[in-house]
Amino acid sequence: MAQVKIYDVIVVGAGHAGCEAAYATAKMGYRTLLLTLNFTNIAFMPCNPSVGGPGKGHLVREVDALGGLIGRVTDLAHLQMRSLNTQKGPAVQALRAQVDKRRYQEIMLGILEREPLIHLRQGEIVDLERVGSEGVSWRLELSTGIILEAPVVILAAGTFFQGTVHIGLVSFPSGPQGQHPSVSLPQKLAAEGIRFRRFKTGTSARLRRRSLNFEAMIEQPGEETPHGFSFWIPWQPRLAASCWLTYTNERTHEIIRKNLHQAPMYCGAITGVGTRYCPAIEGKVVNFPDRPRHQVFIEPESAGTDEVYVAGLSSSLPEAIQEEFIRTVPGLERAEIVRPGYAIEYDVVAAEQLTPFLQLKECPGLFCAGQINGTSGYEEAAAQGIIAGINAGLYLKGETPFLPRRDEAYIGVLLDDLITKELDEPYRVMTSFAEFRLSLRQENADLRLAEYGYKYGLLADAEYERFLAKKERIEEIRATLEKTAFDPESEAGRKITELTGITLKQRISLAELLQKPGVSFQMLQEVYTQLPPGKDEGRVVENQIKYQGYLTREAKMAERLRKMEEKRIPPGFDYNQVPNLSTAAREKLSRVAPLTIGQAARISGVGPADLSALLIWMEARVNR
Amino acid sequence: MREETIVAVATPPGEGGIGVIRISGPQAQAIGEKILRHPSGKTITTWPERKVRLGVVISSEEKVIDEVIFFFFRAPRSYTGEDVLEIQGHGGQKNMELILSAAMAAGARPAEPGEFTKRAFLNGRIDLAQAEAVIDLITAQTDLAHRAAQEQLRGRLSDYLHQCEEKLLAVLAQIEAALDFPEDEIPDLDRKEAMGTIAEVAKELAALAAQAEKGRILREAATVVLAGKPNVGKSSLLNRLLGEERAIVTPIPGTTRDFVAEISNLQGLPVRLVDTAGLRETSDPLEQEGVRRTWHWVEKAELILIVLDAAAGLSAEEEQLIREVKEKKRVFIVLNKSDLPPRLTADGVAGRFPGLPVLTVSTVSGEGLEDLEEKIREALVGKDFGREHPVIVTSLRHKDALERAGSYLQDVLAGLRDGLSEDLLSVDLRAALAALGEITGRAVSDEVIAAIFSRFCIGK
Repeated sequence: MAQVKIYDVIVVGAGHAGCEAAYATAKMGYRTLLLTLNFTNIAFMPCNPSVGGPGKGHLVREVDALGGLIGRVTDLAHLQMRSLNTQKGPAVQALRAQVDKRRYQEIMLGILEREPLIHLRQGEIVDLERVGSEGVSWRLELSTGIILEAPVVILAAGTFFQGTVHIGLVSFPSGPQGQHPSVSLPQKLAAEGIRFRRFKTGTSARLRRRSLNFEAMIEQPGEETPHGFSFWIPWQPRLAASCWLTYTNERTHEIIRKNLHQAPMYCGAITGVGTRYCPAIEGKVVNFPDRPRHQVFIEPESAGTDEVYVAGLSSSLPEAIQEEFIRTVPGLERAEIVRPGYAIEYDVVAAEQLTPFLQLKECPGLFCAGQINGTSGYEEAAAQGIIAGINAGLYLKGETPFLPRRDEAYIGVLLDDLITKELDEPYRVMTSFAEFRLSLRQENADLRLAEYGYKYGLLADAEYERFLAKKERIEEIRATLEKTAFDPESEAGRKITELTGITLKQRISLAELLQKPGVSFQMLQEVYTQLPPGKDEGRVVENQIKYQGYLTREAKMAERLRKMEEKRIPPGFDYNQVPNLSTAAREKLSRVAPLTIGQAARISGVGPADLSALLIWMEARVNR
Repeated sequence: MREETIVAVATPPGEGGIGVIRISGPQAQAIGEKILRHPSGKTITTWPERKVRLGVVISSEEKVIDEVIFFFFRAPRSYTGEDVLEIQGHGGQKNMELILSAAMAAGARPAEPGEFTKRAFLNGRIDLAQAEAVIDLITAQTDLAHRAAQEQLRGRLSDYLHQCEEKLLAVLAQIEAALDFPEDEIPDLDRKEAMGTIAEVAKELAALAAQAEKGRILREAATVVLAGKPNVGKSSLLNRLLGEERAIVTPIPGTTRDFVAEISNLQGLPVRLVDTAGLRETSDPLEQEGVRRTWHWVEKAELILIVLDAAAGLSAEEEQLIREVKEKKRVFIVLNKSDLPPRLTADGVAGRFPGLPVLTVSTVSGEGLEDLEEKIREALVGKDFGREHPVIVTSLRHKDALERAGSYLQDVLAGLRDGLSEDLLSVDLRAALAALGEITGRAVSDEVIAAIFSRFCIGK
C-alpha cells in the first residue's frame, strides 16, 4: 500500500471558501493541505469580476476584520472601487469593487504560498472513508493513487459536484468555465449517508473588448473612495478601468422570446432550482414583459486581457442565439463572443445536515463551506470558509465552536439563515435579512469582530495593537464631543450657525449638535479644531451618536435574542418525548435540530406555544 | 425573555364581584408606583411584602379608575418567583380592562397564555406536573369548539388586515429593493406617495382600534348612568327603559340609596343602566355614601343621563351638576314631564347648555322613550354600527397591536416628512408590520423578500 500522507486539515477545493478555510487553519497552527482540481484556477472568479455591494460588501469587511483574505486581496487587485448607497443612510452604505481576476488569483496564490503550514496540491479525490477507532479520521485517495489522511476535512467544492453545464439544448458534465467536474467524491459522500439536492446557477457570455463600440455606451468610472475593504493594509485607490452601461431593447427581447423553446430553463432540461436575484435574461424577459429595456454593464475581466464580462445578459440559450441577441444591444453590434454564457446544475449538501458552524452533524471532523452549502457569491463563500476554518481549528483543539450571533455580524445572519430557513434557491445575503441592520455597519466591522480574529490567531499582534489604538481614539473622540459645549454667543457658536444653518438657543454640546440632521463630524472638526483626529474613527462616532435611539432599540432586541440563544438544546434531543408540541413543529425541529431555543424560534412552523412546551420540558428534564 | 414585566387579569372573565389583576416581573413595583396611589391621592413610596393595602388605581391622565386593595410580593417569594403586584378591584370587565390598560401604559405587556405558569415553573415555584397541566389546559382549550367562533373572528380580522399589510409591504419592498440593489433600476421612493399610502393605512388602523371600543361594548355592555336630584323620576325612567319594575320608586327624596345596575337590551345593544342615589349634599351618612358611589359610577360610564323634572324648574344645584359632569363625560339632559304643568321647556334648557342634547320624555305615558333609546344607541356605537366596518376588534391584545402599529406608522410619516434616511424608515415600517403580524401571523422578513422579487426586476 502507498504511503499515507498525514495532515491536520485537508481542504478540498481552492476557491473563495477553500482559500479562507486553509488560511484560517494554518494561522491556528495546523498543517493544512489545500487540494485543488486545477492549480491554475486557485481563487478563480467564474462569474462577474466584482466583489462587494450591500450585504456582500459587509461580509467582506467582516471576513477582513476576522483576519481573512478576501478584503485585502480585493483591495490589492481592484480596478475600480465605488461607494454605493451614499445617500441612503450609514447602515446600507457599501463598497463594491471591480476586480482584476487574474491579479486576484496571483495575489491570493502568493499569500497562500507564503504560509509555511499550507501545502498546495493539485489532485482529484476518488475515494473517501472514515478510519480510526478512537478519534475519527478521514482517509482520501487521489486518482493518482496518493493516500491522504486527516482528522478534519473541509469540503469547499463550489459548483463542481456532479456539475452539468447547459448551453441551449446541449448539456455535458462540467465544472464552471470548462473545468473538470467532481464526480467520484459526491458519490462516496452519498455512500456515507450525505444527502444532496440540485441547484442551478449561470453566467453570461464574455466578449472581446476590441469588438465593442464604447461610444454608444455610457461610461461608469470608479471613485476615489476614502477607504478600501481591508482594515489592515494601507488603502491605495485605483481608477484603472471604467465600466460601461448600455441597454437591451425590444429586438433583444423578441429574439429571446422566439427562442425560449431552446432555453434549458424553459424547455424542461434544467430541474435544479435557480435564483430570483440573479436571473438569466430569459427570466427577466418572461417575468417582466412590460419592461422595455434592461441594463447591460460591460466590465473588464483583467487589465491584462481583452476579455470583458457582460453583466445583465446571463443566458443559457444556444451560443448562436446569444450572439444574435447580444448584437442587438447598442455598442455590441459587432461583439465577438470569447466564452458563451451557460447554466450549471450542481449538487449541494442539504442544509439540515449541517450545524451552524458548518460541520456535518453525522460526520465528526467533516466540514462544508461555500457554494456546496447552497449559497451563491464569492463573499458568502469566503465568509463560510473562514468560519469553517476557525471551527475546524477549534474542533481539533477540543474547544467551543465560534458562531457569531445575528446581532454581531452578517456572517451570523448567513449561518443562521442557512440552517433555520428552508433554502428554495441559492442563498445570497441581503441587508434586508439583518434585523440588526443598523448595528451591522461596514465601518464598525472591526469593532464587532477583530477581538475574535485575534483570539483565534488570525490577526497578528501588530494588527491587534493598531485595532486597540483605534478603539481608544474612538472613545477619546466620543468623550470630547460629549464634554465640549458652546454658548450661542461664543465664536464657535457663531461658526456653528454659519456652517450648519442651525440657530442655537442655548448652550449645546458637540454630541448633541451631531445628532441634528445635516450636521456631520467633518463640520464639528471645523467648529472645534482641537478634536482628536481620525477620519475612520470620526465616522464610527458620528454613526454611533446620530443613530443612538435606533441603536438602543436594536440593543434591547439583541438582549432578548441573546437570552434565547443561551438556552441550549442538547445534541440528539428527541422531540418525540415532549408532550404538547404540534406535529408540524415536532417534524421541523427533529429535522433541523436547532442548537438553541433562539434558533428553534426562527424555524417556520414553530409557534410560541411550541416553544413554551419545549422550554418547560427541557428545563425540567435536561438542564436540572 | 424574563426581563419583561407582564400583566393579565387573573380571575375568570365575567361579572365577578372582585377581579384580580396580576403584574409580574422586575418592573412590577415601578408600575405600581405609576398606577397606584393612596386613597388620599399621595404617591406610594413603601412596598412592604405581603401586606393588604388600600389604594386607588389611576390612569395615565391621573384619573381615578377604581378603588382597590393590593398586595406586593417580592421575588422570589411569589407565585412566579418574580416581583409580583396583585391588584383586587371591582370585577367588571370594563374595570379590569381599564386597570390593565393603565398597567400596559406604565410599561407592562399583556401576558401570553400560560406565561405566569411558565415563569413560575422556570423559577422553580411549581413543579413540572403542575406546569404541564396548565399547558395541557391551554392547548386543550384551543382545540375546543367554542374557540372556533373566536378564531373565525380573528380570521376575518386577519383577512381585513391583509390589505393593510399589502400596502405597507409595497412601500417597504420599494425601500428595501433600492437599498439592497442600488445598481438595478429601482425607482427612488416617492416620499409623497408613500406618505399618502401610510396615512391611509394609519387611518384604517385607527378606525379599527376605535371599533375595538365598540366591540367591547357589544360584548360586555356599556354603562349608562342616570343622575339628578332625588325624586325627578330617575327610577321611573330606569323602569321604563328596563321594561319591568326593578328599581324601587317612591316619592320620598333619597330613597334610592343603592345603585341599581341591570343589563337591558336597548335596541339590540347590551346596556348597564345605573340608577344613582342622587347628588345632593346631605348629612345623612348613608346618603353620603350613595353620593360618593354615584360619582364612582360617573367615572366609569360611557354616557350620563341627567334627569330633570320639567315641572320643578332648574335648580342651581342641578345646573352645577350638569356643568361638572359634562366636563368628564358625554351627557344627555332628559326632561321628564309629569302630570303637573311644566316650568321647563326643551328649548329653554338647550339654550342654557349649548351643545348638550335635550330629550323630553314622559315616564308616565312613555312618550319620547323610543327616541331616547335610539339616541342612546347612537351615542354609544354610532348610527351605522355593524355596517360601517366589516370587522370588529374585540380583544384588548389586538387593540394594543393595532395601536402600536398605528404609532409606528406615525413615526414613519414624521420620518418621511423630515427626510429621514431609508434604512431608518424601514425600522419603523417593519415594526408596524410586525405589530400587525401579531394578529395575522405573517412574518415581515419573509414577506418583504417575496415582495421585492415579485415587484422589481433584480439582477445586473
